[in-house]
This record gives sequence, C-alpha cells and structure tokens, in this order.
Amino acid sequence: MSKVKCDHCHLEFSDEVMIHDGEYRFCCNGCRGIFHLLKDEGLESFYSKMGDTTLSPPSEQFEASSNFDTPAFSERFVTLSKEGLNQVSLVIEGIHCAACVWLNEKALHKMEGVIEAHINYTNNKARITWNPAVVKLSAIIDMIRAIGYNAFPYDASLQEVRANKERKEYYLRMAVATFATMNMMWIAVAQYAGYFTGITQEIKTILNVAEWFLATPVLFYSGWVFYRGAYYGLKNRSVTMDLLVVTGSSLAYLYSIYITLLEKGEAYFDSVAMIITFVLFGKFLEVLSRKNAADTLDVIGKHIPREVSIVEGDTIRSVDVNEVKEGDVIVIRSGERSAIDGEVISGEGSFDESNLTGESEPIFKRMGDKIISGTTSIDALIHYRATKDFAHSTLSHLVNLLENAMAQKPSIEQLANRLSQHFSSTILFLAIATFWVWYFWPHSFDRSLMVGISVIIIACPCALALATPVATLVGLALGAKRGILFKSAAQIETMASSSMVVLDKTGTITQGRPEVIYATIHHPFEKGALYTLVSSSKHPISRGVMEYLERTEEQMGTAAIEEAREIPARGMVGRVSGVMIAGGNALLMQELGIEVDSASDKSLFYYAVDHQLAAVYELRDLPKEKAQESIAALKRLNLRVVMLTGDHEAAALRVAHEVGIEEVHAHLTPEGKAAFIDQAHAEGHIVVMAGDGVNDLLALACADIAIAMGNGSDIAIEVSDVVLMNDSLVSLAEAFAISRKTYGLIKQNLGISLVYNSITIPLAMMGYVIPLIAAISMSFSSLLVVGNSMRVRWLYKLRR
Amino acid sequence: MDSWVIAMMLGASIFLGGIALAAFLWGIKNGQFDDETKMMNQVQYDDERELNDAANQQRKQEAAKKEYRPE
Repeated sequence: MSKVKCDHCHLEFSDEVMIHDGEYRFCCNGCRGIFHLLKDEGLESFYSKMGDTTLSPPSEQFEASSNFDTPAFSERFVTLSKEGLNQVSLVIEGIHCAACVWLNEKALHKMEGVIEAHINYTNNKARITWNPAVVKLSAIIDMIRAIGYNAFPYDASLQEVRANKERKEYYLRMAVATFATMNMMWIAVAQYAGYFTGITQEIKTILNVAEWFLATPVLFYSGWVFYRGAYYGLKNRSVTMDLLVVTGSSLAYLYSIYITLLEKGEAYFDSVAMIITFVLFGKFLEVLSRKNAADTLDVIGKHIPREVSIVEGDTIRSVDVNEVKEGDVIVIRSGERSAIDGEVISGEGSFDESNLTGESEPIFKRMGDKIISGTTSIDALIHYRATKDFAHSTLSHLVNLLENAMAQKPSIEQLANRLSQHFSSTILFLAIATFWVWYFWPHSFDRSLMVGISVIIIACPCALALATPVATLVGLALGAKRGILFKSAAQIETMASSSMVVLDKTGTITQGRPEVIYATIHHPFEKGALYTLVSSSKHPISRGVMEYLERTEEQMGTAAIEEAREIPARGMVGRVSGVMIAGGNALLMQELGIEVDSASDKSLFYYAVDHQLAAVYELRDLPKEKAQESIAALKRLNLRVVMLTGDHEAAALRVAHEVGIEEVHAHLTPEGKAAFIDQAHAEGHIVVMAGDGVNDLLALACADIAIAMGNGSDIAIEVSDVVLMNDSLVSLAEAFAISRKTYGLIKQNLGISLVYNSITIPLAMMGYVIPLIAAISMSFSSLLVVGNSMRVRWLYKLRR
Repeated sequence: MDSWVIAMMLGASIFLGGIALAAFLWGIKNGQFDDETKMMNQVQYDDERELNDAANQQRKQEAAKKEYRPE
C-alpha cells in the first residue's frame, strides 16, 4: 500500500481511501473544498509557500456564524476604530505556518468591505477592521472557516492593550538609554585617559559638552519612569528606590553641568547615564516577566458553550445561552457540554462531572436528576428543563467567583522592595550628613557638594536593582529546562517562602484515569473479541480495560462484532459468530440474568460470553509514579502537605495512605476547596495549590501560588502561576527546590551589594571618589551580582 | 584648532548614530518588531504580486476612511 499526500493538508494516507479528483487526491471533502476555493480565488501559491508543514483537516462542526451578528455579541466584542469603522479581535485556530497567516490575510483582504486584517503569527490573534455597511462579521467568519480555519472572539480588554503599550514604552526607553550610554563610554575612555596623562581644558570641555548632550535624553526620557515612581512614592509618603535613583542622577547631572560651564573639576555625566541604564534594565526584566492576567479570562470564555439547543414543540432550535429562560426544555447530545442548570425530564445516560466534582467515574442520570452546568454528556441524549437562567447557573457563577478571586489575589511584597526603602533613606541621610560635615569642617561649597553627591552615586542602586531580576531569570531558565514553567518571576519568591502545599487528588496525585489492577479469569475466552468490544467505547472504564489488554496480550487479533451497541450506563453488548458477548457493570450482568458478586469498593468490569461470566477486571485510579517519594521530599522541605478532593472519603483515604499524606479533606465542592485555602490564609500560611481540573480553578485562583499539571485543562493552566509540563510530582518537589535556591540567591545578591556599599560608601564620604572610580565600581558591583547568579547553574548541577 | 576637529567628529558621529536610533525607534513605534516570528518570515512574501496587493489594500483603506460616514 503506497502512501499518498492529500493535496490540501499534506497528511499521508493510503491511496485507496483518498478522494480522487482528476490529478488531485484529497483525504476528505473538507480539504477538497478548500483546495478548489483557493484555486478559484487565485491563492493557490499558498501551497508552495507552506513548504513541508502539514495542516489539520478542516472541522465541519461550527457554531452558527449568525451569532456573530447579534447585538449582544457586538456589544461585548466589537469596538469602533478612530474612523468609525468596526473592529474585532479574534483568535484564529489552526495556524501552523507563516503561509497560513499569509493565506488568512490575503483571503480577508480580498473581501469587499474588509479594511484591514492583521494577524499576529506568534499568538495567533487577529485584529480585523471592517465596514459594517458593506460586509457582515458573519461573512468574514464564514470566509475564515471556508479556508479551513476557525475563529473565536476574545475581549481585547484594556488590560492587555495597556500591558503591550507598557512593554513597547520600555523598549523605546531602553533603546535610547543603551544608545546614549554606549556612546558615552568611548567618550569617557578619552576623559579617563586624559585624567591620567594630561588633557587641555578645551578638549575636556568639548568632551563634557558631548556627554551632556547624550546624557540629557537618558535622564529625562529614559529616566522618566523613575521620576514618575519617585513622585508617586512621595505622594504615598514612602522613600523608594526610584527616589534614590532620581536624586542621585539629577544632582549629579546638575553638578556636572555646573562643572562643564565653570570649566573645572570632573563631570559625572557617564555615571548618570549608567545608573539610569542599569536600573532601567532591571525594571525592564521585571516588566517582561509579569503575568498577563487578561489572557486568562479569554480562555475561560472559550470553554463556556455560547449556544444551546432548545425544544419548542416539534422543532429544535439553537439559541444564545443568554436567551434561555427558566422552564425552557434543552436537548443535550453525547459529547456536548451543558451550559445551564436543570432537571432531566426524559432520556438517560452518563455524565462526566469530573470537571466540577473531581469524581473520576461518570454519573448516571435519569428522569428527575439534576444536570449541573459545565458537565459533559458522555453517551446521553437527554431533554432537560432549565431550572435557572444562564447568569445564575453553576458555571457562570463559578466564572464570576473566579474573576473576583483573580482580581483580589494576595501579592506578597518582594524582599528587594522592602529592603530598598530602608536603603534609600539611609543613603540620602548619609549624603546630606556628609555634605554638612565637609561644609563645616571648612571646605568650599563646591567640594562639599561634590563629596555629598559622590556618596549617592557610589551607593549606586544598580546592583540592588539587578539582584532580584537576574537571580529570578536564572531560576526561570533552570525550571524551564526541567519542564517547570514559572509564569511570573515574582512568584519564585512567594513560592520559596510558602509553608503549605495543597494537592488535588484526581489527576494531580493520581493519574486521573482508571487502570486495571487485578483480573480474574473464570473461563478462558478469546481476548480479541473483548478488545474490539471495549475499543468501541469512549467510557474511561472501557479505555482502562483496553489499555490493560494492549499491555498484557502479545498476540491479539480483532474480531468482527455484529449488532454491537452501547447500553448507556451499563456497558456494551454484541455478537461474535452467533455467540452473544457482553461487557459492563453489575447492572448489565443482572439484566442479562448472570449472578455476580458486586461487593467491592473498586470499579468492576464484567465480561460475559454466551450468558456465562468469563472475566472480572478490577479497576481504579492509581497514584502517579514516584508519588510517595515526592510527597516525602515535600515534607522534608518542612511543608504541610494536604490533600483535597471532591471524591468520596474511602477513595481519598486509600490514595492518601498509599502516598503518605496524613491530612485529607474529602467530598469538597469547588467552593469548599477555595474556602479551605482562605482558612489556611487566615491561619497565616502562604499556600501553594496544585491541581489540574476545572473543579480546582477557584482554589487555584485563591492560592498564593497555583500550580497546574501540563495535561490538565487549559483553564487551570491559564489560572496558574507555575505549570509542570511532565505532570509528575517529582517536578513539583523540584519546583520547590529551585524556588528556594533562587530565593537564597536573591538574598546573597542583596547581601553582596550591601557589603559592597558598606566598603565604598565610607571611601566616598572621605572624598576619595573620582568619576572613574564611580564608573568602575558601578560596573564591578553589577558584574559581581550577575556572576553570582550564574554560579547557581553549576551548583545545582553538582548537587544532583 | 585641533580641538575643533574633535568637536566636529564627535558631532558628526553622534548625528549619524542618532539617525540610526531614530529609524529604530520609528520601527518599534510602527509595530514592525511586535511579531518576531512573522517578521522573520516576511522575506518570503515580497515579490511583485505582494507589493501590488499591498498597494491595492492601502488604496482600499484610504478610500474607506474617506468615504465612510457613520450615521
């Protein structure tokens, strides 16, 4: 069988299954449709641009695009541009390569009425400007879908716009500061050479003027952020590092102008530029590593179904979730997620509630049972009556709580900030004292002023400003190499000082899916038939049995099963060469008239051949590999380890016992978990929470540090501060080790810069500091701090 | 006399550097460095047709801005 590439998506399939269309081959009608559309539009050069990348074949299930034209939608997502045109921000799904970006932009630009379509390749976000009088948004969305992509809107809230603007502003300021400082360095080389070998006053003045010219934009443009910071600091009656930077550099600048004009002494322009550049660099690193909360809520929005199908008489019609009233009858099909709370009126089937409760096993629902929004139907086709409207349903209630919790997230002040307050006031005091002592000891006003200023300059906060960002960057890189992603640098410090770690059970400590732990074979049977039977179902129990068979059986054929069907909440039945086979739970067996012993606290899967029990499989959710060692490692770090779960007590205690956790709280609702964390806060703990599901969201948002598992739900990853890419608890212990190591490093760095200052400040107070020494000391102390941070890299390596 | 040479050279070099800096700042403000991945790939799309398309698009934009009057 030869493999052939699909002409659209470039995935390879065997020739027989392909759709033949003249000389072209397609894997599906979707690909064929897109291929012809691109050809008609004259965009087929897309395929030559795309190179070796493969695309995913187009999906065919979309939410009706007419929803994009509703007033509710435009109120929420559409903004007006300066010219009065409509603008919307979309996230485009399915972008694989630069050619995809090209194709989307070209296809949209070809549309009448689309004024501008700009797609960011890095984050797949698009900004589209269109003229609503000429074209509707739904038509634009249809075009994106027609060429094989999908788009969903996101709220480009002010927050995100502001964060980007701030970052850009820092880029500009950094560019100016770096340019000017680098140029000043070579002028300074001439100055210093002149200082030792002799220089005429005329040349010196020329060099000074050039430096003055370069230092001005650095101080007033790049340094503007410090003036702003110092002003707001003073307004709040606190002495900040910004104030120290501002006083030091402004005084030095004014003094240097005075020197330049009087043509005597040494100017400090290079020190001014260097202080601003170094400290700005430290600030910039902080801005870069700040987490963008705006993105989080977009992803949450994506997970809430925006429309539901309601029954009106004989017809089923999809409506916007906000239009559903209490008492409406809603249809939910298998695989769909419910958006509204309600009560079942007809139909039955299993629901996956693990999202909300953490309960790993599906729940069977029938007439009269409650449907909770946010849960997913596994195999059920159910009609249910809405008991609440969308805004009051569990899911949107949860999202509201989440938004509040994220807005009020406690922030713990960083060590460097606390320290810099005392540092700044001490230095300012020392500088003023030095000036007065010199002035009354009798020295000229000039000389006294210069010595006073040199104290501030030498106490340069450069090293202090770099201490934290450089150390955290090293920590971030170290974590990233081990699959631990810290989303924000400031979190490392908080994590290092935490005293309590709260773990979710399902998916965090355990693997999150049932596994066969014991098999009892009553009668030998053909495994292939069972394998085929279980692989036809998506139920987690069937998956578990299927994986078990794949693992244990070496040679296993498949069998042709006739009349295979799935019986909701019971199992599957079928027929192999005339003999009836059935696999499922005790209920199914009883209905088939087979006596089984169902007393077990584990999930049991029965398999019967010809009305006779052939095998029983015991399944349960096992703890992850090395869970016990990792929990022990956490305990060695003096952390209080607690397990929270929505599951029932027996299951929770068993897992806790296996991994060695003493403190367990079972049967908790999502709100209950969050309340537990709030209580721990009240007791004075700094809490780290690790979880993976939607049911942990609220607790994650409440915790000081939220850790998500890499294969957890997208929302959990978004809400969290740290992501463990390899899902293992070993990384969790490692994350703690790295954060503590980094925190130690920050302390060392701060220590170094303080010790450094305690040596150089007395020298300055005695009047020994000339500009050259100031410049060297500044660079040297910064180098020490950076060097010390680098050291940890190999220290950590040695210890492993 | 010699010192004027130094002053002139300093002035000229800072001026030239300043032009480069100004160009760089213009690029940042213009959003040319916002999307690093796209920027790197942009070289693939600069043949004659792309330029024509870009020019057409610009014309379309300007026309729309001029004509459009929201009620």
